[in-house]
Amino acid sequence: MTARCIAAILAAVLLPACATVPQNRRARLADPMMSLTGEPLDAARRQKLYDTREGAAGGDGASAGGGCGCQ
Amino acid sequence: MMGLRRAAAAGVSDLARAARFAALVALFSTVETRALAQNAGAAGADSPPTPMAPIADEYVLEPDTLRVESVTTRITSFDQFGYGYQSQAGPVLGPGSERATILEPQLEITASQGSRLKHVLTVPVDVVSAASPDAIDNTPASADVVSSASRRNIAGTIDWAATYRLDNESDVSMNGGVHLEEPLRSWHGGMGTTRAFADGSTVLAARALEVFDWFDRFDITGHRHGRTDRSSTTVSLGLTQIVTPTTVLNVNYGITIQEGELGNTWNSVPLSDGTRGAEVFPGERVRHALVGRASQFLPWNGALRAYYRFYADDWGLVAHSIEAELMQRLSPTLYFGALYRFHTQTGVDFFTTQAPAPDALRTADSDLAPLDAHTVGGRVVLDLPVETSQLGQLGQGGQVRLLHFEIGYERYFRTNDLHMDILTCATGYRF
Repeated sequence: MTARCIAAILAAVLLPACATVPQNRRARLADPMMSLTGEPLDAARRQKLYDTREGAAGGDGASAGGGCGCQ
Repeated sequence: MMGLRRAAAAGVSDLARAARFAALVALFSTVETRALAQNAGAAGADSPPTPMAPIADEYVLEPDTLRVESVTTRITSFDQFGYGYQSQAGPVLGPGSERATILEPQLEITASQGSRLKHVLTVPVDVVSAASPDAIDNTPASADVVSSASRRNIAGTIDWAATYRLDNESDVSMNGGVHLEEPLRSWHGGMGTTRAFADGSTVLAARALEVFDWFDRFDITGHRHGRTDRSSTTVSLGLTQIVTPTTVLNVNYGITIQEGELGNTWNSVPLSDGTRGAEVFPGERVRHALVGRASQFLPWNGALRAYYRFYADDWGLVAHSIEAELMQRLSPTLYFGALYRFHTQTGVDFFTTQAPAPDALRTADSDLAPLDAHTVGGRVVLDLPVETSQLGQLGQGGQVRLLHFEIGYERYFRTNDLHMDILTCATGYRF
């Protein structure tokens, strides 16, 4: 069951790569509201909050460590 | 007559269209003749026509000088209330206060150097009061981490990142920096690369980061015992996919391996004999995180941003986090957002609020306990375009093109008696 779920998620993500969205149809994606991670300083202060107040830091592109609040 | 001949040569067959075309040609010819006559008059009858100055390559091709593209500042205040068993600011066997206030100013400057190189300088600073290790070891009776007495601790980071575009599809980046605070020095460095496929619809990214912390080792009574360290190595791989003209997805997997002293050394644990002892941690921790992000533009000029993160490590902590932010544009310059985040974690295997054995692995840190956490908040963002004529002559490179203002509020609260009020405000300038 788990393997099927993972396969379905991977298929949902990877299959659209077969079709290219033309550059002239990407205007909506350039809107600041569409940023996946938000404004960088805002994303950084949020990540720092969760890294220091929860025990699940690290892994996704940012490292645990760096500061007395981190473990 | 010459105009009609040019119209015929241009393939204009209809008589009316030919007449209009001829009129246009005649008009351009007149303007051209007048301009030539004016130039001749200005130059004088005897002097030769002034040759135009040659255009330098640097004028056409962008020079490799550093050009600031944006400056953003943000200030955030965190007002924290709560209790945790690791704190000694309370009963010997009960939870102590985790009261703290943090003021965090941040600065980000982005600059380009030619057409291929981009720099980002980030400087966050934390001014922490309460629960800070400042002034530890300054008095024989030990310090504020033991009592509830509070000092002020200032911590700052400087991070510099440079991204070099190799070609239209790929770039490489490097970053490095240092973190300084009262009892701790930390250095970090990383590198990454991205590769775009299918005309930029698919972007594959890989990144590695190393953090080395070097800090004072204090016991739970606040006395200093030299220095200790830890290292954290992270490797991650990400894929971003434009699915439709209004949908973009991202998945990212990363692993972090930590070694060394993995606690702050002064947190304490209530013991079954009625006293307190130090935390005891393993010397290594391996963390895995799988993240999925989606951003969907909505037909009523809004956007929905969704986030899910699965986390697991070899200390037995498993966590799930979901987040959604709904944004609505009210005008071309103004939009607002509403945010909700839920986090649940199991806690580490050796979390306890009363440890029986003196040498076994143990922690009473409330951040490593089983807990659920919620964040609710909202923000208003104003991106104000500025006409360059309104600013006067500031020079070609110094004209502000966009002013960015943002104000937001969030409330973070956990099921194990901790909550925080967060107020943030940002100002940005896009040149």
